[in-house]
Amino acid sequence: MTRVILLLAALAAFLVPLVWTVLASFGLLPDNSTTPPSWKGSFTLGHFAEIGVAEPTFWQELATSTASAVCAAALTVGVAFLGAYGLARSTFRAGRTLTQGFLVLASLPAMAYIIPLSDVMRRVHLVDTFSGVVLAEAAVTAPLAVFVLHGALANLSPEWEEAALLDGAGLFRVLGRIVFPLVGPSVAATAIVLFVIDWNMLLVPLVLTSGEIKTIPVGMSDFFTFERELDWPTAAAALVVSLTPLGLLVAVFHRLLERFRLDLQNGRDIG
Amino acid sequence: MKLTRRDRTILFAPLVVLLGGWLVLPALLGLFATFTTYSPFTTAFRFSGFANYAGVIRDPQFGAAIRNIGVFTAVAVPLELAVGFGIAYVLRRPIKGRALWRVLLLAPWLVSPIAAGVMWHFLFGGATGILDFAFGWLGLPDVASPVGDVRLALPTAIAVEVWRVAPFVTFLLLPGLVSIPNERWEEATLAGASWFQQIRHVAIPELRTLLFTVAMLLIGLAFGTFDTILILTGGGPGTATLTPALFSYGRAFQTNDWPAGAASGWLIAAGVIAVGVVYLRLARERLDT
Repeated sequence: MTRVILLLAALAAFLVPLVWTVLASFGLLPDNSTTPPSWKGSFTLGHFAEIGVAEPTFWQELATSTASAVCAAALTVGVAFLGAYGLARSTFRAGRTLTQGFLVLASLPAMAYIIPLSDVMRRVHLVDTFSGVVLAEAAVTAPLAVFVLHGALANLSPEWEEAALLDGAGLFRVLGRIVFPLVGPSVAATAIVLFVIDWNMLLVPLVLTSGEIKTIPVGMSDFFTFERELDWPTAAAALVVSLTPLGLLVAVFHRLLERFRLDLQNGRDIG
Repeated sequence: MKLTRRDRTILFAPLVVLLGGWLVLPALLGLFATFTTYSPFTTAFRFSGFANYAGVIRDPQFGAAIRNIGVFTAVAVPLELAVGFGIAYVLRRPIKGRALWRVLLLAPWLVSPIAAGVMWHFLFGGATGILDFAFGWLGLPDVASPVGDVRLALPTAIAVEVWRVAPFVTFLLLPGLVSIPNERWEEATLAGASWFQQIRHVAIPELRTLLFTVAMLLIGLAFGTFDTILILTGGGPGTATLTPALFSYGRAFQTNDWPAGAASGWLIAAGVIAVGVVYLRLARERLDT
């Protein structure tokens, strides 16, 4: 019983602000001028239509955010899977420190290297391109993916792979037929977490684009940087739209997400 | 198993190209450039030693940013860990609807820092905000938005960040807590350990490495605080919530003082790397025992 009360308190603190936003997006607003405060407005879907009026490129931004996050997450997971497997099956002495080094790299804020990166990207003409944003987002999140996937792969007993190699299977056959099916859930969980991180990323698309390619966070920050008028219900509707895909993704795959683990480096079995 | 040289090339080459080309090489080129007067807006540049760093460190705005991020990190990270751990601990044993609790309690992390800034900007606002609504019901007078108050802006930004990040900490800690063998809890219960002693003598020792790992990520996240503050307060009022990342961004992209922006960016990196060295030491000690 105590546990339920504690959880309800946490739930209230976490979700009341979000519920407030959802209500506002449907036109249900508090009226703080009365004593005590009351509610005003009636249910409407109109504010969702107003998003496109206030920010004409919003739906385009939604498509760009989705496409770039999907591509970046897929690229990162693919590259990190290969690298993490290489690390997990290498026997050099510094391997463990190197793996932990990837975690330190994952902790490094993008601000630490985004300024020279923007300069390099401009010189190689990748500024304001879709692939430029995808590659940079992929690089930013790759260290975390390597760390997580290395944990999953290091826990795999190499016996099966060795047997397959003795049978004459090549690297890709071993990876595709034996390794991937075993760690598939961890790879998928990592991809989902990376998708959320990429979808919400601001600094990379902000610095590497100048209006041609726009993701939702960049669009939102523009709005406030230039202090244009934005109604709270319209802003709330935009927030709700940008949050819905992530909410659905996490709700559908919540079992799978338990496989996103940072604590498998010591060889504890996957529970 | 034995990887051939060819296998290794195939496995590592994509990662080396991606991280090398888009992270390590730009970072190192940037580091080199901070010791010169280099700026992409001018053609000629010369070696200038530590002049850029000296300029940034002497800048009172950067001093304020360092103080702010020190307070931010020292308060936000322990709070995120404590709240996140607390919820994970409650969810550790099976409870009715655990899957639903888990999904609902992760929700704030799905809100991007920018969206959180927009949302709280309006929730703290007067006319339709949540703060005045609550105060009104309690019979208290209306309050001005705390993000506009010099003393309250930083604590408010910290609160918003804890609201957003603590759920992610729960998400990261829960699988580790669940996989602690049952016998460990049973031993503790038989020994008559209270819930506090169980946390101290079972949960924390078992999760030590994971807690270090999560703390490392949170410290890096806090040092780089940018998006959350950008909309919520924009660094203000005055310099009350200015962070090194906001300083760096402003110098490089808004006032076109590229060398100062790049140098302060590297100072953020130096801070995280310093913490990272401690983390690597701790991780190695843990693995060797």
